[in-house]
Amino acid sequence: MKTQSVLFITAIALLLAIPFLLSQGLVDAAIQMLIAALFASAYNLLCGQAGMLSFGHAAYFGMGAFATVHAMNALDGTGLLPTPFMPLAGAVGGLLFGIVAGYFSTKRSGTYFAMITLAIAELVHALAPQLKDMFGGESGISAMRMPAWGFTFGSTNEVYYLTLVWVLLSIALLFLFTRTPLGRLTLGLRENAHRLRFLGYNTHRLSIMVFAISAMFSGIAGGLQVVSNEAANYVLFDAHLSAAVVLNTYIGGVGSFLGPVLGASVMTFFGYAVSDLTQSWLLYQGTLFVLVMMFMPTGLAGIIASLGGLHKRFGVASLAPLVVLSVISALLLSAGGTFVIEMLQRMLSQNYQSLASLQTATRWPDILLFGQSWPPASISTWLVPISLLAVGAVMGYLAKQWVQILIQREALKSESNQSEKEVVE
Amino acid sequence: MSESILSLRGLRKSFGDIEIIRGVDFELLDHERHAIIGPNGAGKSTLFHLISGSLTPTSGEIILDQQQIGGWEPEKINHLGLSRSFQITNIFPKLTTFENVRLAVMRSHGLQYAFWKFIERDVRVREETERLLEMVRLESRSSTLAGEMSYSEQRSLEIAMTLASDPKVILLDEPMAGMSHDETDYTASLIRDVTQGRALMIVEHDMDVVFSLSDRISVLVYGEIIATGTPEEIRNNAKVKEAYLGEEATA
Ligand SMILES: Nc1ncnc2c1ncn2[C@@H]1O[C@H](COP(=O)(O)OP(=O)(O)O)[C@@H](O)[C@H]1O
Ligand SMILES: [Mg+2]
Repeated sequence: MKTQSVLFITAIALLLAIPFLLSQGLVDAAIQMLIAALFASAYNLLCGQAGMLSFGHAAYFGMGAFATVHAMNALDGTGLLPTPFMPLAGAVGGLLFGIVAGYFSTKRSGTYFAMITLAIAELVHALAPQLKDMFGGESGISAMRMPAWGFTFGSTNEVYYLTLVWVLLSIALLFLFTRTPLGRLTLGLRENAHRLRFLGYNTHRLSIMVFAISAMFSGIAGGLQVVSNEAANYVLFDAHLSAAVVLNTYIGGVGSFLGPVLGASVMTFFGYAVSDLTQSWLLYQGTLFVLVMMFMPTGLAGIIASLGGLHKRFGVASLAPLVVLSVISALLLSAGGTFVIEMLQRMLSQNYQSLASLQTATRWPDILLFGQSWPPASISTWLVPISLLAVGAVMGYLAKQWVQILIQREALKSESNQSEKEVVE
Repeated sequence: MSESILSLRGLRKSFGDIEIIRGVDFELLDHERHAIIGPNGAGKSTLFHLISGSLTPTSGEIILDQQQIGGWEPEKINHLGLSRSFQITNIFPKLTTFENVRLAVMRSHGLQYAFWKFIERDVRVREETERLLEMVRLESRSSTLAGEMSYSEQRSLEIAMTLASDPKVILLDEPMAGMSHDETDYTASLIRDVTQGRALMIVEHDMDVVFSLSDRISVLVYGEIIATGTPEEIRNNAKVKEAYLGEEATA
């Protein structure tokens, strides 16, 4: 309990200090991380807590965004609300559209539910460019942040703090929601909606409410995006945004409240850091998702939780080899994976294909990567990632063995304790 | 005699071509304990599904408290004061035992859609939940995940959840299946206590329980009620002996 509040206060302090510590570019990235974190948290209410896997959550993010952009442009550009309250328009937009979409999609469950959410999002994505007045056609709509309350909202830092307040407030509300009767019933919906009906609950209405609340907070995230970008475009409805929130949430871990927040922040940061270096960011994102699902389905939050559990059980000293092995393993595997992905990406690119067809000397000209040229047809090139991956895998295996050894040691110890006791008796 | 609170009139249910419930007429009197017995596959659970809204009748009437409820949504039937348990344990396995009962208690306290107050602050709900847990002897399992309890403990939980809404009519589908002798005794006397002043319809295979608990017994064979009467009458009924109790005796 005490460590928790210390962690909590430290985190808040760090978040408040970010504009003083980081460059403008990184503060911009931090704004994106915060927005993605709120979006994932809102999404997890539906996906993780209510067990309803939506494949079209970009729709509610987007509706929130457009509601906000219109609110900013209302009254000849003076805005419907003072700038700090603008995300409220996003909340209303997300909520209203969430009620309508939720009414239809929650009539079904499981795969059918997922398909309906996907269809609704695709419908909106297809319609949006046609509806020029509402969504600004292909070019979108732009708006201006107006000064309010003595702030100009002209600097990134001011936008950062505005975003921070809204994200913290929203996530706090989402957390408090889990303590309310409806919040508890949300878990009941996931666990056994059938039984709830025989306890007298109208599960359809419950589902609509949870759906709409999730959509409302997604709308706030969309609104914050518009406040930050001063523009909205129908691309906000793109399926890849719907996919990203699913991936972020699962990578973070659907089983815990803060998991998705963590997943979205980490992934958004990597996206920011790496997208200039590679053209295959989506491929990395997908690969990471598959690996997480295969090897640690409880996500990042699950890793932290099990590390915490092991720490309690075995202490820091015996855990150190595990952490070292795991980190080395992760680094080697990432290095090997990156090598393969970047090589393949270059080999399969159109430039390289046409270069290869022009050249007659060799079928496979050398590829420049990491400041070196690599002949793709030679085994020695591929030995590099293969050995990286192999050593990484062995390290991972050793880490796993180490946990086994710890458990066995503990079992032996308790056994000998027991026999000692018997001797005494 | 008191009035009937639940009546079935010419009730039929078919699955495809096969008629499972074949014209059932039945009266459940207010404040009576009424057991339904019959061989496996007779349609006892199907009858419960029809009454509780799991299934829609093919024809016939189900009248609860003067209303024709055949084909209603389960939650609406529950709101009229009918609560049921399930033969196949039907709980929230990954939630705690306490949470399971609390979900069942909340609705009758009007907390179905509340998101503006904290559930832990509600003293009435907590006390009622604790009372129910104590009643089915699960107070020590309060924080255990329901799915991790033993089968018979889950059966007890199922009973607590069924009683949580303070129902007028209670349907219990084999509540003691899988319980030990001692647990069966305890549960039988618990059911006797808590159904005081309510109407109970119970399906149970333990004949000692059935004969000692019930005011009346109906015998369902191949989707038809072949006899209804007091335990004594049923014990001495020739048709019943032939169709059902005879089987038991030879088995
Ligand atoms: N949904 C269904 N579809 C088809 N047949 C069913 C269905 N439910 C029950 N039955 C059949 O109805 C008969 C009665 O089942 P049930 O009511 O469970 O019997 P009991 O509870 O008396 O043992 C069984 O033969 C069963 O196979
Ligand atoms: Mg049955």
